[in-house]
Amino acid sequence: MEMFNYYIKLSVRNLIRNRLFFILMISTLAVGVGVFLANIAIIKSMSADPIPHKSDKIFNVSLNVWPLDNSDAELLEIMRYDDAMHILKNDIATHTMVHYQSQVYTRDINSKNLTRHQAVVRATTPEFFPLTDAPFAFGGVWQQDYAKQIVIGDTLNQQVFGGGNSVGKVLEIDGKPFEIVGVLKPWELKPLFYNASFGQKFAKTDDIYAPIETALDSEWAIALRSMSSERINSVSDNRGKNGFFIQAFVQLENQQQKNAMQEYIDNYSQYRKAQGEFLRANDNRLLDVNQWLTHQKVVDERMLAFALASSLFLAVCIFNASSLLLARYHSARFETGLRRAVGARIKDVFYQGVVESMLIGLCCAVLTLIFGWLFLQISITLFPALQQTSDIDITLILMGIGIALITSFISMLYPLIRSCRTPLSTTLK
Amino acid sequence: MLNMKNISRIYRSDTIQTHALRDFNLEVKEGEFVAVTGPSGSGKSTFLNVAGLLDSFDEGSYELDGVNIKGLNDDELSRLRNEKIGFIFQNYNLIPDFNLFDNIDMPLRYRGFNAAERKRRITHALEQVGLASRANYLPSQLSGGQQQRVAIARALAGEPKILLADEPTGNLDSLMARQVMELLHSLNEAGSTIIMVTHDPEQARAVGRNVQVIDGQITDHSVYAPSHDNTSIVVSV
Repeated sequence: MEMFNYYIKLSVRNLIRNRLFFILMISTLAVGVGVFLANIAIIKSMSADPIPHKSDKIFNVSLNVWPLDNSDAELLEIMRYDDAMHILKNDIATHTMVHYQSQVYTRDINSKNLTRHQAVVRATTPEFFPLTDAPFAFGGVWQQDYAKQIVIGDTLNQQVFGGGNSVGKVLEIDGKPFEIVGVLKPWELKPLFYNASFGQKFAKTDDIYAPIETALDSEWAIALRSMSSERINSVSDNRGKNGFFIQAFVQLENQQQKNAMQEYIDNYSQYRKAQGEFLRANDNRLLDVNQWLTHQKVVDERMLAFALASSLFLAVCIFNASSLLLARYHSARFETGLRRAVGARIKDVFYQGVVESMLIGLCCAVLTLIFGWLFLQISITLFPALQQTSDIDITLILMGIGIALITSFISMLYPLIRSCRTPLSTTLK
Repeated sequence: MLNMKNISRIYRSDTIQTHALRDFNLEVKEGEFVAVTGPSGSGKSTFLNVAGLLDSFDEGSYELDGVNIKGLNDDELSRLRNEKIGFIFQNYNLIPDFNLFDNIDMPLRYRGFNAAERKRRITHALEQVGLASRANYLPSQLSGGQQQRVAIARALAGEPKILLADEPTGNLDSLMARQVMELLHSLNEAGSTIIMVTHDPEQARAVGRNVQVIDGQITDHSVYAPSHDNTSIVVSV
């Protein structure tokens, strides 16, 4: 322990004596590790399992609904109202929910303030909540399919009512009153898996949850895809038409349930094929949450390319730091030689170098966290879409410290070995 | 104390082999003060490096204080350097931003002494060289002669069996050189074994035994009745 303290003392002295050199060297490493860390932070958020305790039990239902027999076509993840209702009728899954996304303007109907808030609506079915484990703070879900009732999220509750129990209060949505029957606790899903195919994989959870039938009848806007020339006059007119806009998820507890569900959707597909629809060969899929997110390319390939680039940049930083250290050790040959001459073993010199590298690594870690945070902020400024994927949590902080220590050690290793191998007789006179 | 038999040291490059030492034989007994002289490139420094375990040798045998050096690993060689050898270099080789105390402390740290024992030895060594009151000075605050005395104190602090001095007065003016030589003589009189490489024939004559090295071999071996007033009498050749 006494020698360890001595090595610390020597390292601190070296750092102070050569502070300009070490500032340069530590900054070089910290920039490399910081960029790498920021990149890892984004990728980690992107590739996270949003609902780890049941991600293998929740499945997206994708039907082969292409009207043409085109084997190269991508799977279509949205379905028509009638298809969705058929999926909803199954008695196989533990939970089944269908949903689509809309946007509305809303305000407290009793407020004198006429300002309306833009809000994201999830038009869905009651089992959305147990399937996604959405946590209720107050109240619960609506009981009737056509009820003028809604559940609101914590953010909107704070925004409109200042928080608290808002059950029983009324929101005006696009000019019509809707009673609040439930309020959710603050709740995050990263990525927002049920929204992954709508281009908002990292959006916040929704502001309003409404019965799907109510949302259709209220004519709240939908993003519709159509593959026919038939006329659709309104949002509510989509029932029974060839407009594709609904997505379905089911919760299946075991393989038996999954097989049964697969058979259920295959039979439905065959039935539709007999009707002259779904001409493509059966390719109905049940993808669990992580398969679904992979299929949706949640981790952007550009981010993976950037990860590779930042890894190479880190390697360049390590090489630079190493060459700087090589020069420093060369200039410090006298002291190393002197220590060896008066009795230091090679391993003593090596241990001292390791302690010095750890001290440098700690300084580097502090700078790394600062640089990592800065790079994230720059990334968010340049690419606002990364807003929801840019957290540096405790795991990443520890990872950053670890990488800083390791890179510092790696940078020092070769110069240290060279230093230990310098012949004593050449360094002292 | 030191016994070298048929020592050879060859430096090899791609095309050239240089015999720095060849069939080098030397025995130094405890308490002797030996001066090693010779022209530049004769092998004096190589001899001192081999003797001080700073360099290896290719052939022959070398015993230091009864320990056969051949085949020892780095740990064992380092321990021998630390415990049995004190170095005094021409350039003093003090660490410039360590004060005198910390400079002398360095070899004692590697010996594993506790703080109290290190302090006792450092204080005693500084007293021996007359610099006890300047323990907190930096080397740059001392004259060249004083710095060399600090280097001697560093060598003495470990209470080594032998002191190896490589032209210890080479960088000093005559007055300071004389002071350092007097210190070395007094240490020898107190029982220290010293081997000193020097270019100065007067200094060589002033010590008990003079070994001349030319082309890596001992060519002259004289024993003097030492005198500090530079009048020496050769008693055997």
